[in-house]
Amino acid sequence: MNGYILLPLAAALVVNLPVPGVRRAAWHTALIAACVQGIVAAAMLADRMRGVVLRGFPDGLSSVMLLTAGLVFVAGLLTARACVSESNRQSLLGSLALLGLAGINGIVLATDLFTMYVYLEAAAVVFFVFIAFDRDSGGLEASFKYLLLSGVATVFLLTGIGILLLATGSTSFDGVSAAVSAGGRDRNIVLLAAACIVCGLLVKAGLMPFHGWLPDAYSAAPSWASVLLAGIVTKTAGIYTLVRVSVAIFGAEKMAAEVFLVVGIVSVVAAAVAALGQRNLKRMLAYSSISQVGYIVLGLAAGTPLGIAGAIVHIFNHAVFKSLLFVNAAALEHQAGTCDIPSLAGRGRQMPVTGATSVLAVLSAAGIPPLGGFWSKLLIVMALWSAGWHALAVVAVGASVLTLGYLLVFNRQVFFAVPKEPPPAMAETGADILVPALILAAVVVGVGLVFPLLPESFLLTLTEHAP
Amino acid sequence: MTDHLLLTALVVLAIVSVMAADLILSVLGLAAASAVLSIVIFRMGAPMAAVFELSVCAGLISALFVSVTGLIQPSRRQDVREHLRKKLARFWLLPLFAAGTGVIVFLISAYLPSYLPAGAPAEDVRAVLWEHRRLDMVGQVIILLAGVFGITVILKEKAE
Repeated sequence: MNGYILLPLAAALVVNLPVPGVRRAAWHTALIAACVQGIVAAAMLADRMRGVVLRGFPDGLSSVMLLTAGLVFVAGLLTARACVSESNRQSLLGSLALLGLAGINGIVLATDLFTMYVYLEAAAVVFFVFIAFDRDSGGLEASFKYLLLSGVATVFLLTGIGILLLATGSTSFDGVSAAVSAGGRDRNIVLLAAACIVCGLLVKAGLMPFHGWLPDAYSAAPSWASVLLAGIVTKTAGIYTLVRVSVAIFGAEKMAAEVFLVVGIVSVVAAAVAALGQRNLKRMLAYSSISQVGYIVLGLAAGTPLGIAGAIVHIFNHAVFKSLLFVNAAALEHQAGTCDIPSLAGRGRQMPVTGATSVLAVLSAAGIPPLGGFWSKLLIVMALWSAGWHALAVVAVGASVLTLGYLLVFNRQVFFAVPKEPPPAMAETGADILVPALILAAVVVGVGLVFPLLPESFLLTLTEHAP
Repeated sequence: MTDHLLLTALVVLAIVSVMAADLILSVLGLAAASAVLSIVIFRMGAPMAAVFELSVCAGLISALFVSVTGLIQPSRRQDVREHLRKKLARFWLLPLFAAGTGVIVFLISAYLPSYLPAGAPAEDVRAVLWEHRRLDMVGQVIILLAGVFGITVILKEKAE
């Protein structure tokens, strides 16, 4: 299990040995590590579905996250290859990506609150650097903002962990969970600890009203870094940890579910409305991410195995379609030199593959059948409905229509509009960006087609720790 | 005697990290203060808390170092002097406050053991690090390496 952490770390050390030529292999090593991780995690998930449970190996939820991390890192690294031309910087990027992968895997595999915190910091340090990688003023400012709000999250997390350590004598998930369920402790102290930890994780997830850093970070970071940030970092650092902590430790706490419902629905609706008014493509996708993450929190808030399964499947689906949209944003930025939507009007007509994959991502984001996003949103809405939150289920469906609206307007404007004046010549982007876009588009379609054929054991695998 | 030396060093380093005009010196002061604090906590019989302090410090210092090297320009000697002069004027009470707190703690230290809970039997810090918190140590290695690569990325760009 620790191989997921130790192997990328060892690889990062090996590719920086003082041996001539070794450092040039850093980017390739990172790509191979991400590919191998994706394949191994998919195999383990398949084993779990067949009922093969090996002691010490990741559970279903962790396997999904490891698979997602592998897939998103492959897409991000391929995109980075097109955007970072100098070989020395590619090597540094590869080394940092290996450390980032180890950090993300550490968050996923942690079975202790403090260990989880250490790996949250590890991943955060890597992504401070990635956001500021181009060293432009916007990137540095966004990185600094991320650093400050991350510091706030750290204070909340450490306070919560400290209180739990005092109240239960342990920081391990099992130890805290056993102590909390045994009762006998002051419920208010446990609630205070829970509130601190949840606030810290909501900042990390960038959910409303804790979202101040996220639109700046996504829009100012290099596009390849935005793929990683939107695809896996906020999902793991904020949402996966929220699912893990909620399910493993505070599973039966009703007050937590009510807080999640409010945060979730506010994020779904307000972020979708905010996305409508954005001119910058990456900023619009950032708000769209907040809105989609709101759906994941709603699934979690429903508190049933169906809702938690929907939340986990939507983590995967959102990682895939949002990574695809950011890869396409990288393609547009690479070819046109801007992410300003009005300036891109009609220019995407010259990029048919980018346009086609973008349409698939948009339809999946809006939950149109039979694409991947449809199934996870369906599970979440069904879970809300069956938990008695009928009005919220209806609002969630309405917000999905809003999502379709703003994303289709962007797609129409950039890829299908006929400009009044002929736009400057612009060719389709190169293979480095097209390959990850096509891989992710294939996953969007493939998951949508295969999902209804998956056995019930798949959903049971995902929710084995559900209350 | 050792404890008094450590506590004095802790106070001096904390004052350095607040007063230093050079941000990098300030971050280094904070790192050293945190390391000394870890030793103090360990000597008080709480090795787990000492390890936690070290872990938090590793992440915090790496993040601060990366941001500091990314954001600041080297200061002129004259600017540094001016900055220090302003800080001394603003924080002139700080050393007095630290010394006063030290005196109060010294005077009441005879009564403290009856209020504080008895410490757990001291465990070897190596046992805590490598048996109970092994995964945390790996995480700290990742944080430190990421800090080093991050500074390389930023400083190389600066040199260019």
